[in-house]
Amino acid sequence: MSKVGAVIRREFIERVRRRSFWVMAMLGPVFFAAIFLAPLWFARGGGLKRIAVVDRTTTGFGLAVAVGLESTRGIFVVRRILGGPGVEDSLAREVGARHIDGFLLVSDSLFETGAVEYRASNVSSLEDIALLRQSLGRVAENARLERAGVNPGVVARAQVPVTLRTNKITRGRVTGESAGQSFALAYFMMVTLYIALLLYGVQVMGSVIDEKTSRVVEVLVSSIRPFQLLLGKVLGVGAVSLLQFLIWGVAASALIGRRAVLEGQLTDRGQDVGQVFQLPHVSLATGVVFIAFFLGGFALYSAMFAAVAAISSTEQEARQTQTPVTVLIMLAFFSSFATLANPESRLALALSLVPFTSPIAMPARWAAGNVSGIDVAISFALLMLGTVAVTWVAARIYRVGILMTGKRPSIRELVRWVRA
Amino acid sequence: MPDPIVLLDHVTKRFAGHIAVDDLSLTVPRGVIYGLLGPNGAGKTTTIRMILDILQPDSGTVRLFGEPGGGRAHAERIGYLPEERGLYRKMRVLDVLVFLGEMKGVDRRRARERAGEWLERLGLADWRLRRVDELSKGMQQKVQFISTILHDPALVVLDEAFAGLDPVNAQGMKDTVLELRGRGATILFSTHIMEQAEKLCEQLCIIARGRKLVDGTLNDIKRTHGGQHLVVGFDGSTGTAAQVFADPRLVTKVDNYGQYAELELASGADPQEVLRQLVASGARLSRFELQEASLHKIFIDLVGPVRGDARADEDRP
Repeated sequence: MSKVGAVIRREFIERVRRRSFWVMAMLGPVFFAAIFLAPLWFARGGGLKRIAVVDRTTTGFGLAVAVGLESTRGIFVVRRILGGPGVEDSLAREVGARHIDGFLLVSDSLFETGAVEYRASNVSSLEDIALLRQSLGRVAENARLERAGVNPGVVARAQVPVTLRTNKITRGRVTGESAGQSFALAYFMMVTLYIALLLYGVQVMGSVIDEKTSRVVEVLVSSIRPFQLLLGKVLGVGAVSLLQFLIWGVAASALIGRRAVLEGQLTDRGQDVGQVFQLPHVSLATGVVFIAFFLGGFALYSAMFAAVAAISSTEQEARQTQTPVTVLIMLAFFSSFATLANPESRLALALSLVPFTSPIAMPARWAAGNVSGIDVAISFALLMLGTVAVTWVAARIYRVGILMTGKRPSIRELVRWVRA
Repeated sequence: MPDPIVLLDHVTKRFAGHIAVDDLSLTVPRGVIYGLLGPNGAGKTTTIRMILDILQPDSGTVRLFGEPGGGRAHAERIGYLPEERGLYRKMRVLDVLVFLGEMKGVDRRRARERAGEWLERLGLADWRLRRVDELSKGMQQKVQFISTILHDPALVVLDEAFAGLDPVNAQGMKDTVLELRGRGATILFSTHIMEQAEKLCEQLCIIARGRKLVDGTLNDIKRTHGGQHLVVGFDGSTGTAAQVFADPRLVTKVDNYGQYAELELASGADPQEVLRQLVASGARLSRFELQEASLHKIFIDLVGPVRGDARADEDRP
């Protein structure tokens, strides 16, 4: 067994020594931060619109509009101008010179029929237009109600908006986690699992093909059994991935610990960040489920990657041959979105039980929905069974393949190797 | 008689479509340099792989050091240099040696010490922390050789050890083989280059198409398969020497290279009679030498001319 230890140590040390490992260690948190913080950042950039209001009304209603818009977040009314000849042209020139973003043409028809015109350099931002329409609607509504003799105080009270606070109940306990947070966590776990399975699976493949092309493998299998060699590789690369996760985990918790600071810097005017995005809370149980299913999935897929490498003679050939395996991982990733959309559906249940998809689907379902510990245990047991079966087949292919050069074997030959 | 180091007993290995090794039995005694000879595709590498437990025979048994268990069980006592050589190209020289030493059951610290000693000895001490792919090919071969003998094996298996070596490195390899033997190691090496085998082997086995043609000590094989050989060299004029060579009472086989000829004498023929006739033919002789047959010659006689049917896919399991 000390030989397996030596294989594990070699895989681990050689990988951790490489620059690429540390690049990943640095880039990981940057990447994750980008996923979470980009929405906030982008929301700020496009936020403030400078517009002018052209008042063509006979009632001075344009003033109310300007005041109403001014109190709307994200819109800054530069000035109100009374309608007249040449006003529109000169404003259009100002838009062209980028002094203002656009201007509203308010006439009595806003009050009567709700029609109003907005001219601007950019009218394709659905979000901005929706915001503008909402604000104008509110101003017009208020004005109409007031004209009809309704007390403005009553109107204001009637218009207090509904705030729907979501609070997830997981395994019978209120978690204080909102819908946004559950989704964010599940999504985050899916992306991470997908990337990590591919990344480290391919590393096992690279390691096998390296020994095969350099012919070191022939000397190795004269002193260690092929299965032990494969085991050492998978464990060694697995240990590297755990270290990588540990680094990322520490970075992530540091990031989440400074949540308030970050959010303050990234948003304006004390906006409610929660509406844009929320950093999730990660419980210990979630961490355990994540790591357990990652390791199970990693063992399953890396065995397949090892078999792919064993039947290939060069790295290029291996990259072509790996397609079925990478497609399987992609399938697991994309189908798991169904789990996000509806964690209780039959499809989600099936995906979280089948060994090939469960490494991604189960943690996603765990984070997004209300999954019992028993479900997780059954899914994990199935994953273990699948891993043992796949590893058994892969190891047989590996055992023969690593000594073989030349033409890639046919499916029939592979079947014979497995049966032998 | 002590147990042989390697004992193959009626070993057969089939691959899809053909028999790579066919009912092969051989015995490698302790402390000898043993040659496994044969043309390309004869089954040498398959035989070696079965000895080392990399492949399992379909039938027959392999016994090492007189004990049960395949090569892997005795890995600590075996050093193996495969035909196709290679090292981890991205690893540091010292790390590669320590790792391969660990694979042979040497503990880490000891492997590090021994690797350091060997690198020092072969003039590679300054390269110990360099990456393997920064070394020249010759240096890489030295490193690989160190990895083969780092654990001081009792049996050293060299598959086509001389293939692809330049004369300087080939000489170095030969010296090292002799030195290992001097320390009491048993050496089994395969080759298709008979000149190397003739200089080094004390015992040998010639195989072709998976079957054993002959085995035994070099001297015995020469005596029983040698026949009487004569080398004749000419100094300019060959006269009518060709007629003398064509006389079946004197010569059974001739390789005539113009200024030089190798003859196999007919049984009972008197070499002096050949000399008399050559002088009478008007040829000017620069050399007339009675020789025992070269291993090369015995090999060609036994195996026949190199055929095109040697299986190129011998190594395919």
